[in-house]
Amino acid sequence: MNHYTESLAFLVVAAPALLLGALGVASLLDRRWSEPETSRLIRWAVAVALISALGLVAGMLATGEPRVVLDLGNWVEVHPHGAGADHPGYHFQVKLVFDQLSIPFLLLSLVLCGTIGAFATRYLHREPGFNRFFVLYASFVLGMVLTSVAGTIETLFVGWELVGMSSVFLVAFFQERQAPVRNGLRVWVVYRVSDAALLLAAVLMHRMIGAGDFDKLLGGGAWPGGTASVSESQALLLGLLLLVAAAGKSALVPFSGWLPRAMEGPTPSSAVFYGALSVHLGAFLLLRAGPLLDASPTLAVAVVVFGLLTALLGFLTASAQTDIKSALSFASLAQVGIIVAEIGLGWRYIPLVHLLGHACLRTLQFIRAPTLLQDYRHLENAIGGRLPRQPALWVRITPSRLRVLLYRLAIERGYLDALLALLVEKPFVKLFTWLDRLDRRATDSLAGENRDESPVAWDHVPPPSGNGTGHHAALGHGHGNPPHTPNDE
Amino acid sequence: MSSQNAALPRLRRAIDHAAHLLPAQGPIAIFIHHNTLHALEDLPFEQAVARGAAVFGCQPYLTEERFRGILARGRIRTDDLRAVMRDDLGGSVEERVLGFGSRLDLRLGMLQYPVRSGSAAELRWFVAETDALRKVRPDVSAAVRDRLIAETRRWVMRDLRRGGEQPAWAGELLRRFCEADIEKWSEANWEAFTIEALWRVCQQVVRGVPQPATSPVPPVRHRDLLLNVANVDTDLPVHEILIRFCAAFLDQGVSNWPLPHREEGFFRSFCALYRDARGSPKSWLKELPAELARLYDANTDPLESACDSLHALGVPEGAWEGFLSATLLALRGWGGMLRHVEERPDRVARPVPPDSLAGFIAVRLLLERFALTHAARETLGYTGPLEGLRDELRHRLPHRALPTVEERAFTVFQLAQVLGWTPDELHRLTPGEWGLLLREIESFPEVERRRVFHLAYERRFRDQCFDALSLHHRRKPAAVRFQVVTCIDEREESFRRHLEEVAPGCETFGAAGFFGVVMYYKGVADAHHVPLCPAVVTPRHFVEERVVEGYADEDRRNRWFRRLFGSASHWLHLGTRTFALGAVLSAGIGVLAAVPLVGRILFPGLAARLKHRASGVFAAPKRTRLQIERTEPEPGPECGRVGFSVDEMTDIADRTLRDLGLIRGLSPLVIVLGHGSHSMNNPHESAHDCGACGGAVGGPNGRAIAQILNDVRVRTKLAERRIAVPEGTVFVGGLHNTCNEYVKYFDLDLLPESLKTLFAEAQVAIETALGLNAHERCRRFESAPLTLTPAGARQHLDARAEDLSQVRPEWGHATNALCIVGRRERTRGLFLDRRPFLVSYDASQDNADATVLTRLLSAVVPVCGGISLEYYFSHVDPPGYGCGTKLPHNITALLGVMDGAASDLRTGLPWQMVEIHEPVRLLIVCETTPDVLMKIMDVNRAIGVPIRNGWVQIATLNPTGTGLLLFRDGAFRPRVPIAEHLPHAATSVDWYRGWRDHLEFAEIGSDREGA
Ligand SMILES: [Zn+2]
Repeated sequence: MNHYTESLAFLVVAAPALLLGALGVASLLDRRWSEPETSRLIRWAVAVALISALGLVAGMLATGEPRVVLDLGNWVEVHPHGAGADHPGYHFQVKLVFDQLSIPFLLLSLVLCGTIGAFATRYLHREPGFNRFFVLYASFVLGMVLTSVAGTIETLFVGWELVGMSSVFLVAFFQERQAPVRNGLRVWVVYRVSDAALLLAAVLMHRMIGAGDFDKLLGGGAWPGGTASVSESQALLLGLLLLVAAAGKSALVPFSGWLPRAMEGPTPSSAVFYGALSVHLGAFLLLRAGPLLDASPTLAVAVVVFGLLTALLGFLTASAQTDIKSALSFASLAQVGIIVAEIGLGWRYIPLVHLLGHACLRTLQFIRAPTLLQDYRHLENAIGGRLPRQPALWVRITPSRLRVLLYRLAIERGYLDALLALLVEKPFVKLFTWLDRLDRRATDSLAGENRDESPVAWDHVPPPSGNGTGHHAALGHGHGNPPHTPNDE
Repeated sequence: MSSQNAALPRLRRAIDHAAHLLPAQGPIAIFIHHNTLHALEDLPFEQAVARGAAVFGCQPYLTEERFRGILARGRIRTDDLRAVMRDDLGGSVEERVLGFGSRLDLRLGMLQYPVRSGSAAELRWFVAETDALRKVRPDVSAAVRDRLIAETRRWVMRDLRRGGEQPAWAGELLRRFCEADIEKWSEANWEAFTIEALWRVCQQVVRGVPQPATSPVPPVRHRDLLLNVANVDTDLPVHEILIRFCAAFLDQGVSNWPLPHREEGFFRSFCALYRDARGSPKSWLKELPAELARLYDANTDPLESACDSLHALGVPEGAWEGFLSATLLALRGWGGMLRHVEERPDRVARPVPPDSLAGFIAVRLLLERFALTHAARETLGYTGPLEGLRDELRHRLPHRALPTVEERAFTVFQLAQVLGWTPDELHRLTPGEWGLLLREIESFPEVERRRVFHLAYERRFRDQCFDALSLHHRRKPAAVRFQVVTCIDEREESFRRHLEEVAPGCETFGAAGFFGVVMYYKGVADAHHVPLCPAVVTPRHFVEERVVEGYADEDRRNRWFRRLFGSASHWLHLGTRTFALGAVLSAGIGVLAAVPLVGRILFPGLAARLKHRASGVFAAPKRTRLQIERTEPEPGPECGRVGFSVDEMTDIADRTLRDLGLIRGLSPLVIVLGHGSHSMNNPHESAHDCGACGGAVGGPNGRAIAQILNDVRVRTKLAERRIAVPEGTVFVGGLHNTCNEYVKYFDLDLLPESLKTLFAEAQVAIETALGLNAHERCRRFESAPLTLTPAGARQHLDARAEDLSQVRPEWGHATNALCIVGRRERTRGLFLDRRPFLVSYDASQDNADATVLTRLLSAVVPVCGGISLEYYFSHVDPPGYGCGTKLPHNITALLGVMDGAASDLRTGLPWQMVEIHEPVRLLIVCETTPDVLMKIMDVNRAIGVPIRNGWVQIATLNPTGTGLLLFRDGAFRPRVPIAEHLPHAATSVDWYRGWRDHLEFAEIGSDREGA
């Protein structure tokens, strides 16, 4: 460990943090950077981070160090008070680890984010939400970097949250229409569930080993080595929570429904965020927690099962999608499922390579999606006729009744959303309505009066019938009005 | 059932009528511009946009806010507003409104100053939290403000405090302001008092005038009612299913797994797909499968099912049409596409079975029934019959409150400030006069104000055009060296202008870019025949590009390579979306995708050059000819029947030369340039191609007409028709790429040696002009620096066309506003800022019936008018009439785009295409006499109706003088020139340099050139 590598490691995280600071603070002060300034800031920040990361790799290769650890110490410490206190105290430790897992993922994130950043500065030129997009982009980049190099679960959680929050706001980017906001909310709910699981895992980890440090949990040593320092049942419990967290982030069954909904945002954000990077975060987390899987065969089986189920669903659904972005996102899902299954099978390097390749490939496909018509025309011209449209062999050999059922399952996307609505959402809403009533009755009897808190009648002006997309044509505030009219920024 | 069966034809008619309102846009890959409100073309423009606003929920004109910005910029002048109102109201405009000045002044005040309005709660907040009751509005002039305060002060001091009849509020107000110190009140105190007093008086005025009774019409759809009553939207679950199913049904090849039973039609395939109850957890659809199974097994006609649903929903037969059109418009993009594909099966790869639209309605109504039943039960506890739901909902509809006193008074309050009506004056009015005043104000509502603004906006532009055309001196080249024919497209205006500046010996012409050659065309490396002609025409003839003798082997080899490469790419393309293959591909070679990814985004220009070099291996042989001459008697796609007969070719040549006015005076070299546009990542690419070629690339048409006109036999026959094509004259066809400013010539190997020097001269001039044209275009792109050189501009455009992240590869028709049908000498040397379609027409060569002009106008009015109106509507309401921003667009079924993963199909133009457009109606100026034009309009409905209804404006330009007559209210009326001279600049560059916005018209170069 020397000064050189440590300062490079620091720069990798500091550059995106500074970018977020520069863009975010300026927005809070209502002094936005101009478009060229923003794009210069992004270029510099990502370039500095990327070059530092490459320098770090060079340094590690030169010195032969398998990993570089940058411990920034405890940012919050709560000491156990009282001699006989049964709780071990708590600390928030920030520690960055650069090893064989985090470095490839870090480089991938920086390369893709940098490329998409350059793409987006031109794609969003003159868009009223330009500044907002890049503030969210900056927090996404920082989130990705922190998650990749996190050495403690609390650091990971911070990155995880940044990624989640920025993703949700990017899905709801076109906030003047209903559908993006509705779908953003949906993504938000799923992310909350996943975050709750991660938080629970963090708390448990502190309880079990008294720290959030992965080195303590996974036995130190360079990735993919290491053995879990907890018992099998503890590993299972912790692992299952991490699996739930991963499932939400990676849209594994049964949370897959949010993935196509995330396509509401501008093309670059759907490309890099859901197609390529954030959808792989779950797999990354499982890779990081590899020793837990080794410690608990049950957990490994669960991971394989969820992975395979997701892969099957993704594949089946992708085959029937008729719009290019959904087709690509379900195709992504199939591969993410396979990657997760590979992790469950105990492999480490194969899923890592698979993940990296898939992320690059899918990003390219997503940002080229608007060119589909031309691509098809060129292919037809090259082939000299209509493109062959023969269903896959498995479709042809399926009996026709079953084929119809499968097709419906595919275009209904496995009915996952409907199932969640039926099994989770409805009972949940029912329970809380009931609690609300109970609460009100209690307060009424305490106050000795009957307050009518029934919701006020909605004074709704009907949207002009037929705006199927739910947009409303408000005077002068519609999306895309020229820059000299006040916009919703 | 028999009574129902009798109703079916009536239902079909109702559906047909309702479907007229659906957008008429076809598949996006062949984008054809058309009037967005085509369905309302029988109404006058101003009525139609108002009706469109009501039916589609869209904007009729730009917003007042936008217009006020335009007024502030000086693009509209106050004089224009005055003139428009004078035209509108005639003499009554000068009538005085009580003591407050003329009606004109009142209305002008309402136009110039924003009069805010809002709900009572908003107003209360506004009044309490802002300076509204302490200070006079900041936009009121100092003189008016001072007068307001001084008059009020006098009124208070002289009358109000001296007994007399004091208004009720006066005492309280005076007490609050400390009457005792009244003589020591500060200026600010007096201002606040004035404003408070004014506010009270206005309320007092309004209180005395009864509300005009209005009863809003309740919505017809159950869904809209339910949304108002219970705040649930039943369209959400219905659309979720319908959008996916429509996309699956219409899919042209995104998915490789076709919808089962698709061949049985929309209705039956839906029944077949959803009839099985197994597996669906959606509670609102519990009873659907049984119903579908029944309908499917009984082989029920979709119309019959729709009829049943209408009965079940309680919609009486008389109300079918209104109900159906409202229902159809709820998902208008998909409905319109179904209808289009059904009517034009030749335009798609996979046509749909008949009765798809009826099936769509039947399915939709079925789904609505279940969704409504479920939602009404869950939210309202309504379990009665569905038939009665609408009445029940109407009953529960919350009453819309009438505007409160505050709301109405606030308008008067604001107007009083800007127009300087003192509290004293208002207070002295009688109740009858108050009513008069309020009526006067309320008779000039927002839509009316926007209409006046719009007319003034058009008027200002029209005046500039008329001034330019009447003040401009005719110019002709002294000695014609060569001639260039381009499309009438307004994008060619600047190219032609620069070319004439660069080469004074060049004469240019404009003709609709298919150049009279109506054909299905297939290039040597193309898979299919493409129609190259206006969209309304269906070609009978086929033309193919073939390799020249001796290159057959090379061609065969390349074909084989291409096929191999194509199949491999297709396999890869699909493979990455499959299970095992996808895994192998992404794990194995996925990382390699980073190379094109980074390359194409960070270095688009370099990546494009590399790609072009690499694709050279697979390119079609360079040496080809058009197979344009037919040997068999009947035309057709087979060998021997491809092409035209010599007589047909002569007809084409005859027509084209006559249209151009080129039956004499041909120079030795005539270059005919078709045009097209190529850009990456642009689903709307085809909208940038040649409209006259039906949204396709028009190069082959230029090549074909050149080949026809070079044919000796054609020339002999033309001579018989008294069209002399000199023996030495050679025509060269070419293609102008309007995106990256490149021109490609065809068949140059046939150019005779004697013309090579002249051609080289022309080529150099054209290259220079292209550079300048690129330069002029770049001034409109914010991302291109204003300091670019012409060479730099071409590089910029090159990179732009290949850039995956570029959403504005070119501006397309975005500046069109004018169409000039006449000789180029009337416009040569005039800087027209890429605004006009330039149609060559020489009245002196036309016959008495004006056959040529009729032919030209019957293309110009619908085509150019359609382009202009499509841009108008897409700009005026980008998310409603247009397709909003491009950023979330998602190609669906290869037919169109959605926003995100599930929305209606978005029709119209994206904001990024129309952003810089000025939404005015096309102004056509014809170099002819009013009598001739009147006769043409009378005889041809297709020309007359749009003009008479004001969808385009038309004027005549005297062929021998400079007089201009504008068609208004059924007659041509002369207009007086406003300007005395035009601005002048030495070159176009000098005029537009350093400026991004639209420019005024100007004379370019010296007048000495002219004759
Ligand atoms: Zn054209």
